[in-house]
Amino acid sequence: MRLGYDERSAALLVAPVLGVLLVVAAFPIVYSFWVSLHDIVLTRPLRRPFVGFDNYLRIFDDARFWTAVSRTTVYTLVCVVATTLLAVLVALLLNEVFPGQRLLSALLLVPWATPSVVNGLMWKWIYDPTYGLLNGLLVQVGLLERYRVWLSDPDITLLLIANAAIWKQMPLAALLMIVTMKAIPEDLYRAARVDGANVWQRFVHVTLPALRPGLMLVLVYETMISIRHFDLFLIMTQGGPGDASLTLSWLIYVETFRSLRFGTGAAMSYILAITTFALSWAVIRFLGKRI
Amino acid sequence: MTLLDSTLGRRGLVAAGLLASPLAQSQPANAVNFIGWSAAVDQVRAQITAFQAATGIAVNYENFPFAQYRTALVTRLVANAPIDVSWISDAWLPEFAEAGWLADISDVPALMRYNAEAAQYCTQSMVYNGKQYGLSYYGDHMSFMVNTDMLARAGITTPPTTWEEVVEQSLRMKAQGIAEFPLLLSLAADTWLIEFVSALTFSFGGRFVDDAGASVMADPARGAVRAARFLREAIHTHRILSPGAVETGEINGLRAFGSGAHAFAIVPTYRIRALNDPAQSSAAGKIRLALMPKGGPNGTHDTCGWIRFYGMTPGAKADRARRERTLRFMEFFGGRDTSGNYSMQKLLLTDMGLPSCALPLAQDPDVVRFWDRWAGGGAVVAQQAGLARKKDTISPWFGEWVETSNQAWQTVCLGRAEPEAAMRAAGTKWTELRRAFR
Repeated sequence: MRLGYDERSAALLVAPVLGVLLVVAAFPIVYSFWVSLHDIVLTRPLRRPFVGFDNYLRIFDDARFWTAVSRTTVYTLVCVVATTLLAVLVALLLNEVFPGQRLLSALLLVPWATPSVVNGLMWKWIYDPTYGLLNGLLVQVGLLERYRVWLSDPDITLLLIANAAIWKQMPLAALLMIVTMKAIPEDLYRAARVDGANVWQRFVHVTLPALRPGLMLVLVYETMISIRHFDLFLIMTQGGPGDASLTLSWLIYVETFRSLRFGTGAAMSYILAITTFALSWAVIRFLGKRI
Repeated sequence: MTLLDSTLGRRGLVAAGLLASPLAQSQPANAVNFIGWSAAVDQVRAQITAFQAATGIAVNYENFPFAQYRTALVTRLVANAPIDVSWISDAWLPEFAEAGWLADISDVPALMRYNAEAAQYCTQSMVYNGKQYGLSYYGDHMSFMVNTDMLARAGITTPPTTWEEVVEQSLRMKAQGIAEFPLLLSLAADTWLIEFVSALTFSFGGRFVDDAGASVMADPARGAVRAARFLREAIHTHRILSPGAVETGEINGLRAFGSGAHAFAIVPTYRIRALNDPAQSSAAGKIRLALMPKGGPNGTHDTCGWIRFYGMTPGAKADRARRERTLRFMEFFGGRDTSGNYSMQKLLLTDMGLPSCALPLAQDPDVVRFWDRWAGGGAVVAQQAGLARKKDTISPWFGEWVETSNQAWQTVCLGRAEPEAAMRAAGTKWTELRRAFR
């Protein structure tokens, strides 16, 4: 098949971008998969045997991996559910017209604009056992008798980190929801009112179905972000105390950059990437059918 | 030929990072390329100036935070970055030597002669498989420190000599409202944790591995389990140690002890200067050293010692000119300078409190004055230094094993695992890595 002038021009124009993509995206993806098939430990430079899928099998046989899977699942569920629910509530509030609505909308974006590292440090200080704001507040209002060591309590560590993540992620989710809500035709609400629908019925039968595109976007985005969260764990707990906040991302970091096992680190990264892709696909497929 | 066998291979993994390296970008000819962690930076720069003035040899100096240092150094070594000499922790010696990243200096009489003037455990800590791999930067050990003011307020005249007495005196202080948590230990899962728990284990008469290198850490009679149980009881039963210890890093522990809120602590000896400096510590003048308390039936006053040293790369050793420059650098920094003085070692001690491996310095009037001023005398330091033992877990797989070990100790401190079970988990990992290494 001979290409016409237009096709050739298009191919020529696209070629540089394609070349860059091959170098910065495709090559690392293929190369890291190749690395995951080798037993590469940086501190043992004289050996690098090809082990096929042994790294993957070893990972599935490792108790730490399953602990990390369990912690990641809990963390992701808490983050996604709480962020989505809060985002819908905030969007409903800000979709109304009331004095100060614009100011509140602008303030809402502050957490989202805060850099992740700053966010982590801020919450670490809030939870601090000696000078933390949370302790000070709870003691002053009489809900706590003495200062508590929040992040050292393995029962709530994950939830405290999730709280910090939700605080930062919720504004963007709310923004997406507001945009979706603004697109709902006012006629639908008027018709519902004529049919005698109350506020709750209008929300369930008009707002919620119309929110699905935004909801799908939020769910996919939040799932992808939460499942791979790393910065908060690095700053706040370093995977601890014990293994209380040992998530997959943290385990990959430890395996790759502390134990310097690049082979298993790359294999874990692949498992995480495939899981993220599969979950996103499932959400899109499940909700997409209903849009 | 596989892709990994090509020139890209592992070097490709780190080459991008190296492009940003000052050492890779600007290399004055005839310079020594030296990498360290970001400690004593002013002192190092001052010594570099003195070295350049004395020898005319330039130095390219680069440093990284200690927490990221090992990874940063390894990636550079893997990529054959032009490093001549670097600071090395004794904990990394076997894996670095096995990887071929350190040059043996046993055939360099100009450096080996310093062994005659060095503390024995310092020299031993630089030896692997019968070969010596460096000259010391400093050598230190974990010390048991007490706040004499708090002890006096509790009516205690003699510091505790056993961990049982530590518990008893702590409970007294708690009952009198002097301190909520009289004992302070920094048990965050960072690079210091193994030094703290090794000191504690040695004081309980224990060890992690036997002379043949087999794990004995799960043996209830070998001390590690006893030390772990002590920690758990200190936190959960006696409540003399804060549950927040698991998120207290060494530097935060230092600040907490300096604030005067705790009566007892295990602290690296070199911190005594900062703790008794009124500009840095509220408890200044009240902190004194005592021998590490004994624990359990086989307890000893032993503690964990460590050294950091100057290690030369094989690349520097192989090239005659580089080797010459590097050896002069190592001697000037780790031995005597061109005037015949241990100037760097003395500077590090008097400025930073970093103890030296050089025995002749102990008689130096400035050093004697230093210990008198900041520690109330050097007798306990010298006695404890004599009881310091290097970590018995130092091995080619130490870097990997210590992650599991840290987690095991933290799990015990959280009350989430029995000491026996946690030590068994650490022991199993040790055995697995040891077997894999063969």
